[in-house]
Amino acid sequence: MEEEYEILENTVKDFNAKYVENNSLKFENESMGKEFVKLLADQGFFSMMGQSGEGAADVKTLSVVLENLAKSVPAVAVKTLLANSFLSLVNDPKITEAVANGSKSGTVTFSDLLVGPGQNGSLLLSDGKIKGEKQFVFGSDSDFIVTLLDTGELVLLKSGFTAGKKLKRLGFRSIGFSAVSVNSSDYDVLSKEGRKVLEKLYDQLSIPVAAISLGMSEAVSQKGLDYAKVRTAFGHYLKDFQPLAFELTSLIAEMEILKRYFEGLISTSPSRKEAMFLKHKALALAKDISKTSLQIHGGYGYLEDFGIEKFYRDSMALSVLFHNEEHEMEDLSTLVFETKAGFV
Amino acid sequence: MDFELSDDIKEAVVKAKEFANKYFTEEVAEKSDFNEEFPTEIVAISKKEKVLDFSNPWKVLVTIEELVRRDPGLGISVTISAFGAEIFMFFGNDAQKEKYMNPVFAGKRTLGLGVTEAGGGSDVAGIKCEARLDGDSYVLNGGKMFISNGQIADHFLVLARTSPPPSPEKKHKGLSVFVVDSKSPGFAINKLHGKLGVRATNTAELIFDNVRVPKEDMVGEEGKGFYYIMTFFNISRIYVAAQGLGIAHGALDRLLEYSKKYAPVSETGELSENLQLAIAEIATRVEATRNITYKAASYLFKFTPNPIVTSMAKFYAAESAVFATKRAIELMSLHGLTSDLERFFRDAKILDIWEGTTEVEKLIITRMMLKEGGA
Repeated sequence: MEEEYEILENTVKDFNAKYVENNSLKFENESMGKEFVKLLADQGFFSMMGQSGEGAADVKTLSVVLENLAKSVPAVAVKTLLANSFLSLVNDPKITEAVANGSKSGTVTFSDLLVGPGQNGSLLLSDGKIKGEKQFVFGSDSDFIVTLLDTGELVLLKSGFTAGKKLKRLGFRSIGFSAVSVNSSDYDVLSKEGRKVLEKLYDQLSIPVAAISLGMSEAVSQKGLDYAKVRTAFGHYLKDFQPLAFELTSLIAEMEILKRYFEGLISTSPSRKEAMFLKHKALALAKDISKTSLQIHGGYGYLEDFGIEKFYRDSMALSVLFHNEEHEMEDLSTLVFETKAGFV
Repeated sequence: MDFELSDDIKEAVVKAKEFANKYFTEEVAEKSDFNEEFPTEIVAISKKEKVLDFSNPWKVLVTIEELVRRDPGLGISVTISAFGAEIFMFFGNDAQKEKYMNPVFAGKRTLGLGVTEAGGGSDVAGIKCEARLDGDSYVLNGGKMFISNGQIADHFLVLARTSPPPSPEKKHKGLSVFVVDSKSPGFAINKLHGKLGVRATNTAELIFDNVRVPKEDMVGEEGKGFYYIMTFFNISRIYVAAQGLGIAHGALDRLLEYSKKYAPVSETGELSENLQLAIAEIATRVEATRNITYKAASYLFKFTPNPIVTSMAKFYAAESAVFATKRAIELMSLHGLTSDLERFFRDAKILDIWEGTTEVEKLIITRMMLKEGGA
C-alpha cells in the first residue's frame, strides 16, 4: 500500500480508537449525535470524493477511510459514504459547506436503481412544486435529499419533505430509513438526465462499497480469530477444531486476496468491470465471514455486547441498500462476455 | 409408505394457521421483537385455546412448524412453555409428574431447562454448576446461561455436578438433574438483552447461590443427568428442526409472494431464471427438511429414536432456515429488507447454535455412523 494510504489508515484507526469504539453500540443502534458527526466532518471525511459531474470522482482515499471506519462501526462508514455521495452531486456552496462541515446532512436515494418501476413511490413536478412520496429513502433523517422525479430529473430537495414511519431496521439502525412525503417548492434541478447521473454515481460507489465490506470482513474475522484462541470447549481451544479453523482460514484467505486486489485497484484507474468484480465478491465475503465469526462465538455471538451480530446484520443490509443482485450480475455478465448476457 | 398426514394432524395444522392469522399480527410481532418483550397475552390465549395438543406429538410438531412459519419469535414463544418436560415423562417419578409435568402440559405452569453455562455451550459434560448434599436437601451453586423462559418459568430442570468425574475422560459421569423453584432463596435471574433475533422469547442467565433443593426434587437417579439431557436433546432437536422448517417455509412464502407482486418479468411474462432457480432450490430444501424432520420424528414417536437422523434433521433444518432467509432477502432487495423477512433472517441464525451447534450435530452423525453402521 502506498505511503499516503498508510498514513490515512492510521489516522482513521486513531479516530476510531478515540471516538468510535467506546460508543459503538450507540452509534449503531441509536444515533451518532451532532457532535460526533461534526467530528467526522472535521476530519474531512465527508468531502473526499470530489464532484462526480467533473469526470471520475476520487474514490481512492475515500475507500481507504471507509474500509477503516467500517472496522469499528459500519454505520459510521455508511453515513460517510452518503455524505460523500451527496456532495459529489450538489454544487450550492452554502449547502455543500454545511454538509461538509457536518452542521447539516444530505443523502442520495438509490432506490430507483434497486427496485422496479412504480415500486418506489412517485414524485412529480407541477406548478413549481414537487409533490408525492418516495419509498425506501436511506438517510431519510437528512436535511437535504437528492432524488429522482418520475420524469427523470435529478433534484435536490432543500425543504418541504417529511420522513414517514421508520422502516424495519436490519442494519445501520442509527441512520434514518423510511418513505418521505414531499410537498416542496424549495428545490434545485441538478440534471435533466437524472437517471444517468445517478447510475454513474452508483457505479463509482462500487469500490467504496467494497471497501466497507472489506473493513467489516477484517474486523469480524479478527474477532473470530481472537475468540477462537481463548475460548475452550471439550478441553481444547476452539482454534484447534478443524471445522472452525478451516472455515475461518479459508475465508481469511479469500479476504487477503481481495484486499490485495482492492489495493491494486485503488493504486490505478480501475475499469468498471474490475470495480464490479471487487464489489460482487467483497459483499458476499462480508456476509460469509460474519456468519462464520458469529458461529464461532456461539450464543455470545448472538448478543450485541460481543459486537458480532451487528456485522451479520449490516453485511446483509449493505448488500441490499447498495446492490441489486440481478441488475448487477446482468451488467457484470455483459462486461465479462463482452456482449449482452445473463438477461433471460 | 404414506406421506400424507392423517386428518387429525391436518386439523392441528389448520388450527395453528388460524391462530397465527388471528394473533400473530405484524404489529404484535414487531413490538415484541423491537422491545424484546415476551408475548404474555398471546401465550395465555394459546394455552386457553389449547393450540398445543400434547396428547399427540405429531400435533405439537406441525403446530410448531406452522406457527413459526408465520413468525419465529412469537411461534417459539408460544410453543416453548413445556421446554424440558419430556425429562419428567421419561425419568421423573409419579409425584414429580403430578406436581411439575402435568401443570405444564395443562398450560398452567411454565418450565425452563438449565443446562448451558457461560463457560461451555456445546460441552455439556464440562459444566461447573455443583449440587452438594446437605441433610435432606442439595445445595446448588453456580450459574446457567442463555436459558429460554428464564424470567417466566415457574420451575427449572437444572443439570449440576453431584460427584467428581472418575477421570477427565469421563466428565459425563457424576451429573444429576434437579427441579428448582424459581422463587427459591438464593436464586437470581438476569434477563439477557440485545439478542440478534428471537427477541420475543425470554432468555436469561440463572444464578444459584446456595439454593436449597429438597432431595425428592432430584429427577431420576443421581449421576445419570448427562444421559437424561442427551435423551432430551434427541427429542428437542426434532422440534428445533420443525422451527427451522417453519422459518425456511416462511421465507419461501414471502419470496413467492414477492415474485408474483414485484419481481420483473420478461416479455412473455416469465420470471428471471435466476429467481426461478432460487425459488426451486429453497422449495426443495423445505421439502427435504420436512421429510427428514418427519422421519426423525417418526422414529422418536414410536419410541425408537434415531439420533443420527435426528442430528441430520436438526442441522439441515437450521442450515436451510439460514440459507432460505438469506437468499430471499438478497433476491427481494428492498422489499425483503423492509418486510418481516428481515426478522426471519435474524431469527434463523440461532438454530445453528441452540440445542447443539451445527458442527456438533455433524460430528454426532459421523461418530454414530462409524459406531453403529448407518442411519
